[in-house]
Amino acid sequence: MLAEDFNLPKQTHDIFGIMARGNFISSNGSKDGMNRLYDIVNNPDNFDRLQAYFNVIRYNIERGNNFFYFSKLHEPNSELEKKLERFERYIDIVDLLASMDNKITIGSRFRPSEIAEECNANVRLKQKLQKIPLYRSETLHNKVREICDLMSRDSYLEMEDEKTESYKVLDSYAYLLDVINSVAIYEDTGGGSDDAQGLIYN
Amino acid sequence: MALQVNINDILSQLYHQRGVVEFLFANRENITVNELLSREDISAEQYQKLKSLDLIYEYENIVSLNDAVVSMFEDFMEIGEVTPGFINDYINELNRHIRFYQEAREMRFLRSIKKYLKRINATLTREIIKLQKNVDDTYKNESNYRIKLQKLEDYREKRDTIIEFIKKTSDVVEDTRALFTLTNDSELYGIVSALKASLIENLDYLIEIQTDITDFINKIMFQIDVYKKAQRLKEIKEHGSLYYRTNFKEIVSNINTLKHNGHKTPKTKIAIEFLYTDDGHVLCKRIAEKYKLTRLMVRGIAGKMAGDFKDKGLEQQIKLDTEKLVERFLVQTKANLFEYLMDYKFPKAIGNVTFEDRLSLFVEIAMEYQNDLDFKYRLQYYDYNDTGSEVKKRLGYTLILPLKDKAKKKEKVKKEEG
Repeated sequence: MLAEDFNLPKQTHDIFGIMARGNFISSNGSKDGMNRLYDIVNNPDNFDRLQAYFNVIRYNIERGNNFFYFSKLHEPNSELEKKLERFERYIDIVDLLASMDNKITIGSRFRPSEIAEECNANVRLKQKLQKIPLYRSETLHNKVREICDLMSRDSYLEMEDEKTESYKVLDSYAYLLDVINSVAIYEDTGGGSDDAQGLIYN
Repeated sequence: MALQVNINDILSQLYHQRGVVEFLFANRENITVNELLSREDISAEQYQKLKSLDLIYEYENIVSLNDAVVSMFEDFMEIGEVTPGFINDYINELNRHIRFYQEAREMRFLRSIKKYLKRINATLTREIIKLQKNVDDTYKNESNYRIKLQKLEDYREKRDTIIEFIKKTSDVVEDTRALFTLTNDSELYGIVSALKASLIENLDYLIEIQTDITDFINKIMFQIDVYKKAQRLKEIKEHGSLYYRTNFKEIVSNINTLKHNGHKTPKTKIAIEFLYTDDGHVLCKRIAEKYKLTRLMVRGIAGKMAGDFKDKGLEQQIKLDTEKLVERFLVQTKANLFEYLMDYKFPKAIGNVTFEDRLSLFVEIAMEYQNDLDFKYRLQYYDYNDTGSEVKKRLGYTLILPLKDKAKKKEKVKKEEG
């Protein structure tokens, strides 16, 4: 079977380039025409063709709420240790973003300095930030920057303006929220949980 | 108001200071007097004039446009906050005039009725467009989620108010149907039927807006719920019981994204031939710089260009032209191949083509195009000088002519017979 037989959109190469690196294609991303790529994948005709095409090389396009990503077909998921470590860190990060006065969620725009400033003014936030395991970074600001950098590399954030260092939260962030939402907590200690929930209204 | 004003005054003032008005409209609320006066298009005198007409006013050194002017612009451009209150006023006015008309059938009341019916129609549509815009904007751009929720709830209320007005309006229209028929006014009839149609349409839009608002609110609520959960998970994690009190491990092990499963980007090896090209060289250089590999950097430097570089280029170019050259030769009948090549005027771009070049071209053509050429096995002679020497030399060459059609045909016939 030839590539031409699939009648693929001409952006197939770009789509593959992004997703094969493990990144997401989000509908509200603007860098490298990401929103256009999203529209192309989202078109039902294209989606079926691309799916069939990528399935040949054992990639599967997964659809989320306003984003796409690849998974591998017929391959056991591996590297559990690393994965657990990563997602533990994601919990830390999402928790930090959730504790901001101005909750940062999909579509929000923010600057690392804002977060650093808020963390500086609030002991609890400061502790949270300091406890996130990262390698270098001494100052709070640099630490937030590093987090933003990490999240952009994983394509959950996008740097909109380099001069002002402003970031935008992409739709793919919903993936993290979905994962967190799907974790079930076994309710065996009823008393403590209410206190924990109360924390959101700080 | 300080002065007696008329429309002409106001309009001409607004027009003369249109730059300033535009500027103030765009930057509401934060322009100081000094900032404004430092602009080139307004003098202190003009500023005083604007102030005296109450078109602008200043408060604690901040200049703003008159609210009436601002809201006029906003109304016109269909921006700004949704204000369904207007519609209510219009409905009340409409009712009042209908009562008047019932009392005395005078044209002036009928005219007002038409005016208000038209206004209600236009305002309803405009308010709905504004509402839609504001709902969208709020969801996408309001960064504080509490305000965002509050605003969306407010819009929900406004939507209900507008629906109420639509009902009210259609009631009024229904109740006065008999009266309107009595007037026998075709214009009124047109206005009423347009209004009825757009009322139905607008209701549809409002239902859509309602779904949007609900959807947005749900999304925000979901995000807040998840955030609460994230905070609980964090709490549990702090206690060190993340693996025991939740199914975190199970969930994470089912995660199937490429990145989190250690799948690296598929890598293909670079073809060695590619590395020898110019692009490949640039690539090598970049890699060498990145990894500070002096070995690669040294290899990268190209040697001195050969002395006969130009001639080589020339040869290549002639080669490219050969096919055309042969075509041209085949259509002419005057000269044989050798003579043709010797006398051929090559394009200037190629430069000077020497005797040797022409000779090698002759050999090349004779070999490559032998099927198209008629080889007469006769020798002819050509006198020449070696470049740079006086010694006369004589060269014998085969007479080669273009293959004539007849000859071709003969050959074909022969082949077929054979």
